Amino acid sequence: MKPSKFKKTERSPVTSEILRKAKEYGFSDRQLAEIWEMKESDVRLLRKKMNIVPVFKTVDTCAAEFAASTPYHYSTYERENESIKSKKKKIVILGGGPNRIGQGIEFDYCCVHGVMALREEGYEMIMINCNPETVSTDYDTTDKLYFEPLTLEDVLNICDHEQPYGVIVSFGGQTPLKIAKALEENGVPILGTSPEGIDIAEDRERFGLLLRKLNIKHPKYGTAHTVDHAVQVAEQVGFPVLVRPSYVLGGRAMEVCYTISAVRDYMKKAVDVSPDHPVLIDRFLEDAFEFDVDCVCDGKDVVIGGVMEHIEEAGIHSGDSSCVLPPYMISDKSYSEMIEYTIELAKGLNVLGLMNVQFAVKDDTVYVLEVNPRASRTVPFVSKATGLPLAKIAAKVMAGRTLKELGCKDFDFRKMEHVAVKEAVFPFAKFPRTPVFLGPEMRSTGEVMGISKNFGESIAKSQIAAGNTLPTEGTAFFSVNDNDKSGTAVAIARGLINLGFDILATEGTAAFFLKNNVPCGKIFKVNQGRPNSVDYIKNGKIQLIINTPLGEVSRNDEFAIGWAALEHKVSFITTLSAAAAAVKAIETEKAGGMSVQSIQEYLGMHTIA
Amino acid sequence: MPRRNDIKSILIIGSGPIVIGQACEFDYSGTQACRVLRQEGYRVTLVNSNPATIMTDPEFADATYIEPITPEFVEKIIERERPDVLLPTMGGQTALNVAVELADRGVLKKYGVELIGAKLEAIKMAEDRELFRKAMDRAGLECARGGFVNTLDEGLKIAESIGFPLIIRPSFTLGGTGGGTAYNFEEFTEKIQHGLTSSPITQVLIEESVIGWKEYELEVMRDMKDNVVIICSIENFDPMGVHTGDSITVAPAQTLTDKEYQQMRDFALRIIREIGVETGGSNIQFAVDPKNGRVLVIEMNPRVSRSSALASKATGFPIAKMAAKLAVGYTLDEIPNDITKLTPASFEPTIDYCVVKIPRWDFEKFKGVDDTLGVQMKSVGEAMAIGRTFKEALQKALRSLEQGRFGLGSDGKDAVEVDSLSEMEKIEWRKKVLDRIKIPRPGNIFYLRYGLQLGISIDELYQATGIDPWFLYNIKQIVDYEKELKAYRV
Repeated sequence: MKPSKFKKTERSPVTSEILRKAKEYGFSDRQLAEIWEMKESDVRLLRKKMNIVPVFKTVDTCAAEFAASTPYHYSTYERENESIKSKKKKIVILGGGPNRIGQGIEFDYCCVHGVMALREEGYEMIMINCNPETVSTDYDTTDKLYFEPLTLEDVLNICDHEQPYGVIVSFGGQTPLKIAKALEENGVPILGTSPEGIDIAEDRERFGLLLRKLNIKHPKYGTAHTVDHAVQVAEQVGFPVLVRPSYVLGGRAMEVCYTISAVRDYMKKAVDVSPDHPVLIDRFLEDAFEFDVDCVCDGKDVVIGGVMEHIEEAGIHSGDSSCVLPPYMISDKSYSEMIEYTIELAKGLNVLGLMNVQFAVKDDTVYVLEVNPRASRTVPFVSKATGLPLAKIAAKVMAGRTLKELGCKDFDFRKMEHVAVKEAVFPFAKFPRTPVFLGPEMRSTGEVMGISKNFGESIAKSQIAAGNTLPTEGTAFFSVNDNDKSGTAVAIARGLINLGFDILATEGTAAFFLKNNVPCGKIFKVNQGRPNSVDYIKNGKIQLIINTPLGEVSRNDEFAIGWAALEHKVSFITTLSAAAAAVKAIETEKAGGMSVQSIQEYLGMHTIA
Repeated sequence: MPRRNDIKSILIIGSGPIVIGQACEFDYSGTQACRVLRQEGYRVTLVNSNPATIMTDPEFADATYIEPITPEFVEKIIERERPDVLLPTMGGQTALNVAVELADRGVLKKYGVELIGAKLEAIKMAEDRELFRKAMDRAGLECARGGFVNTLDEGLKIAESIGFPLIIRPSFTLGGTGGGTAYNFEEFTEKIQHGLTSSPITQVLIEESVIGWKEYELEVMRDMKDNVVIICSIENFDPMGVHTGDSITVAPAQTLTDKEYQQMRDFALRIIREIGVETGGSNIQFAVDPKNGRVLVIEMNPRVSRSSALASKATGFPIAKMAAKLAVGYTLDEIPNDITKLTPASFEPTIDYCVVKIPRWDFEKFKGVDDTLGVQMKSVGEAMAIGRTFKEALQKALRSLEQGRFGLGSDGKDAVEVDSLSEMEKIEWRKKVLDRIKIPRPGNIFYLRYGLQLGISIDELYQATGIDPWFLYNIKQIVDYEKELKAYRV
């Protein structure tokens, strides 16, 4: 509590004029609560008692000179209300607010689909959002648009006025979910999975219990409050470990630690560690492959929208990883297990609507990494690739329809005859001198899709669309970490040689290649001498870089290579699996004749009307 | 002129993946264009590589190509679909660049595809700095003085003719690396050499500095009959030097006198006519010297933009939708206003409220990133708020950003509680605040609040930031009222 200049007794009681003026000046209940040292909910009560509630004005292009027929509103504290409440059954969808890394256009897509679907069902659809860039804030999209902040106060004000049949909080990313519980406590009916179900998925203990009950495996984990405790936990779950704060403040990064000293270093940097905010420590499944599954559950049946296989190995944020639909390297056993687990989890969490599950598969064992009973980032990608409009179906399910009624209970995405690849796009070029390597923290701003009849062509298209045009000839430079000095690396190098590339490598990698009869030249690392790898890049002597650093990535060498590659527009790949995919793509490009086809043609046989 | 019946099929190019500077505003414009052109009965073919967009839903176009937006791939699509016309103004710079490339390569001519929305000459005149400068000369308007140089000697000649300070921008460097401001010959010599080395083509642009000038944007539309309307004026809260995508912006403009606004309006009409954008929307940026009112034309985008999305939401006038209609032959007086249905689109929108947009950055995800704001855009998103006054809209916008703030401070998240500081600490904080706000950075607006609480005058804040005193005065009103509120109890 802040010290106040005035003692409580010296202050005069607040009048409705004073409070009204505060609201006219834009003060939120939360600010007033802070100023008067009381609870936000009590400010709200006081305000209502004094009859200080907002009115809704219309954005009408003409300063009210002519009658306006489009219901596009904003709140303010004045007398006359211009938002006329209809008698129709109304559903409110809460949008995602301003775009940020990790929450962007995908959620706008889901909101807009929700609106379209439920308009078809005859509801009056009301959208609340404050992002001017979006389609969801186009008044043409909805029956009614409130251009308002997505805070509890502002949303409750609209619900007070509109008295909706229900509010959808699971389409706009984290933004509406954060206020879901409080909305429910204030008597606002939430459609879809209950805030309780969402809570179970997010609470480690409760979720762990559910997994044990369902007999589903997950990587070992623990939580720690102190440096020593963290080391202890890390040893218990086994190295390497993924460490991250339970309470993300200012986006403190997650990290993969291979050693005790790395864990100690991380803990020392994690200033926010306290009993309230412990650090989460998970066993990191190295060399595992990750999968994303999106599904819709109506409480009885579950439809799987698609299973996506990440191209990069575990450890890279799912939003930053490229992925392929349908999966291209998976055993039937693991595949059916993932489907089975997804269905059990959806039912176990009483999901009504969308759910996304992330799996890791290692040595043919399936582990659950994360479950999110809400719209995920991959929903639009899956919908475009398969033709099944997941968000629309989910919205209808939330409003009471069944998958059977909607005719999609028996949808099987595996019947698709094309391959879709999603690739992420990064803003590194705008942020000089920041690390360009991918990790467990998401940093991409957008995505592209490559679609064709085969994996190689789809990969090639995704790379071109993302601006990572791959070379079809020249020299490939390798610098791989010790774990990656494997048969895969040899196969990639051989593949490139077959495509006519020359190979250069740094000392250790070159020795490994030569031992495995891969012809290659040797060049210096940045600090070994001149000319080194960066000189080669700057002189245009390297066309493709395959560099897989290990652990702490800010070491000078990789840093310098990454930046030289970006500045000179040289293709730069940081994982072996992405490199293997790139070889496929180069093969396709060299063969020539990539073709184009419309999505309507691809989906001809799968689209559900 | 009514709807064009000589065309049957239209190709629209989207903007591709979301990147900093090109976000979902182009999904908004593209979706509107697809919707309205299909309503008009045209066959719409769309190309966009971004699957997360609404426009790429199969139901929004007759043929949707989720393919790379490169001249090679778009040519394949043209070959297959044989559109009559190409509308390149809905997909940001990406679409415009590809369209120009297709025209230059002769692809459009080969397949008989006409550019609509903006003609090739108009696009080139707006995009090429030299051509644009000449066009502004012809229109009797001023641009910032300067030019491209490849050697130090050429640079020195420009420096002598213009004087300091000068902005040096190397061509084609990432993140604007190697650029800077020079205040004297010594600095200039050093920076220009550094800039030339940084540029892969050994070229730098030298321009007179307009840092600290007031910045405005006008959203303009023109039709085939030469009707021109101004949809919206936007004022940047942050003065020149901060990219408009990184600035807090306010609509309508708040600190112009009517005479100044009318002059800027006249300039906009002259510009759109001189550049020759015949059908559609353009965004024109101006800088105004606060000392003498001298107006410079900064740039013009002959297409819909982030600002036009903002202007559409701020006014209720759907610029992209109208631009699509104009592109197929309609004139402004023939299209009814979307909202009133009674007035034609040639009525300029009037606003009886205030709109504030604040950008959102994600710097914490990038270790060691330079978080100062400058000529290159760094924000990843934005929130907009509408209120009856600037004060109300500003506080609403701050809480819309969802960064744990619930208005302009006094929400328990302030970096400092001024009331609890000792006199010594206050002196330290005054210095801290003045140092901080000199360099534009996210969150500086809260430091304006601390400054006012510490008794720094509006004039001192203005000298440090170049933010118009009118805005500072409004912020002061919020700060003062907060103080007043503390004198009450519940």
